[in-house]
Amino acid sequence: MGSLPPSAAALRPRGGAARWRRAALAGALLVLATLWLLPAVWMAVTSLKPTENIVRMPPEWIPWPATLAHYGEVLFSSSRTARIGRAFLNSVVVSVGTVVVVLVTSAMAAYPLARMRFLGRDLVFVVLVGSLMIPNAVVLVPQYVLTQRLGWLSTYQGLIVPEAAVTFAFGVFLLRQFFLTIPGELEDAARIDGADRWRIFSRIVLPLSQPVLAALAIFAFRSAWNDFLWPLIAVNKAEMFPLPVALSFLRGAYASESYGPIMAGATLSALPLLLVFLVANRRIVEGVRVSGLKG
Amino acid sequence: MGRTAVEAPRPLHGPGSPDAASKGAPARARRRARHLRESALTPWLFLAPGLLLFVGFRVYPLLEGLYLSFTNARLGRAQYAFVGLANYERLLEDSRFHVSLWNTGFYTVASTLPILAIPLGLAVLLDRGLPLRTLLRSAFFFPFTLSVVTVGLAWLWLLDPVVGPFNYYLKAAGVPVRSWLADPATAMWAIILTTVWWLTGYYLVIYLAGLQDIPPELYEAAAIDGAGGVRRFWAITLPLLRPVLLFVLVTHVIGSFQVFGQVFILTVGGPGDATRTVVQHLYETAFRSFFHFGSASAMAWVLFVIVLGFSLLQFRLLRGHTEY
Repeated sequence: MGSLPPSAAALRPRGGAARWRRAALAGALLVLATLWLLPAVWMAVTSLKPTENIVRMPPEWIPWPATLAHYGEVLFSSSRTARIGRAFLNSVVVSVGTVVVVLVTSAMAAYPLARMRFLGRDLVFVVLVGSLMIPNAVVLVPQYVLTQRLGWLSTYQGLIVPEAAVTFAFGVFLLRQFFLTIPGELEDAARIDGADRWRIFSRIVLPLSQPVLAALAIFAFRSAWNDFLWPLIAVNKAEMFPLPVALSFLRGAYASESYGPIMAGATLSALPLLLVFLVANRRIVEGVRVSGLKG
Repeated sequence: MGRTAVEAPRPLHGPGSPDAASKGAPARARRRARHLRESALTPWLFLAPGLLLFVGFRVYPLLEGLYLSFTNARLGRAQYAFVGLANYERLLEDSRFHVSLWNTGFYTVASTLPILAIPLGLAVLLDRGLPLRTLLRSAFFFPFTLSVVTVGLAWLWLLDPVVGPFNYYLKAAGVPVRSWLADPATAMWAIILTTVWWLTGYYLVIYLAGLQDIPPELYEAAAIDGAGGVRRFWAITLPLLRPVLLFVLVTHVIGSFQVFGQVFILTVGGPGDATRTVVQHLYETAFRSFFHFGSASAMAWVLFVIVLGFSLLQFRLLRGHTEY
């Protein structure tokens, strides 16, 4: 998105005064953006302070002396509740698993919906898009009943499969939009050369779709990594908690003034997406953009 | 794969039409034709894994939930009986459910204006070709990458009545402070503030995309006619952004009816029931206190009907705005 011209760019007066005005506006917004980030900064700063410095007044924004003791405690201590270290691992397994299931099922389903003609195609598509309106809270109880019947409570598949089912319809929608833009001549040439549909899909369509697949992967990762309500219900063994659930219990496990370990856990949970975000900022924004405008 | 092709050959498929192949054309052409037609099953084989997932974990639970709402199902109860509308009737008398509905409605209405206006204001400012645009957008977007639990914990600490920095700076500025989350008059507002912080970046990006689609010529023409910035905003930006505004509005309303995580972390529905929401009430009915699946399913369907109403409203309002 950064490369697109802003819509008001054509208006941009060429004079020096206007340039100064824009710089001043950017400066003001920079101050606002800094203030905006303070809650997250405060979280990270707190996690690095020794306990006795955390509640000191006035608030100290430079964590000096700094310590990693709170991280050591939440990652490795088993004394309080589910270890954040184990929860982190659980979240990685569940989120990566969800990404894989979503990518495979959505890409396979979006391909015929975009590139083949068959009876029922439009109906399938309409039902999938319509399902985006189903509030997750509505299927909570029956989904629990089903997961229990399958023996999947407190298992990875019990988190991955329902999570993937939520994102699947959006994935189909996103990928179909992209597959529609691939020129038909490429496929026709391959078919005349004897390639079947699966070969065309896996050798031509998928390689061409890497950017949109990456956007979908990040989207699926974000929603799986951050989901709270479903794992809160579907997991009742502490060693199987994903991060958000383990963190919510961390809150109760510590007295309210020992914010150090709680903020260390919260900061840890923010790191993977922060990394993804720094590396693939544009992909994320693109995914959100499409989810918003076309959803 | 069978050869029961029902799909009409597409014009670009070349000369080897299936008819020609079956009428004793040379072997090579026949082989090519076999590649060109395909089984009616092929698209469904591609769709199968996803549809299995979708039907199993979306469609079936939705219907099962409707069925459960007419039963006396409980957690751990193997046999349950059909009880007609009893669960729905009980909701009419469940005063905590009414409070939850009221709180959810209040949250939805009170959070709508800030969630519509703040990201829009930021988007309009950022859309002016400012230096550091990407950096600024990223800063506002960042909270959206956090989980609701992380957001809740960070704000819980920030709003701590005794040792939190929020009250410290307010006091320093001479503003009377209180225990924002423990006071029934302010608890919901603190939750709204937290939510606005969390979601502003998401809506900002959506608004920015909408602004990109407004043709710059319109602004040029208005500028030539002497319209100032404010005038251009009201006369061009806002009307042309209408579909995006409606999208944000309806998305937010649908999401708001399901608000849970922020409340669960910040107040657990308290003080008293001042911030108890429908999904929290549903969660507790089914999984915390009563384990009453039938009653919780009835709540879920009441919620679904409300949300569905708003979704249909969205389609009505958006109809005729197909340019987006």
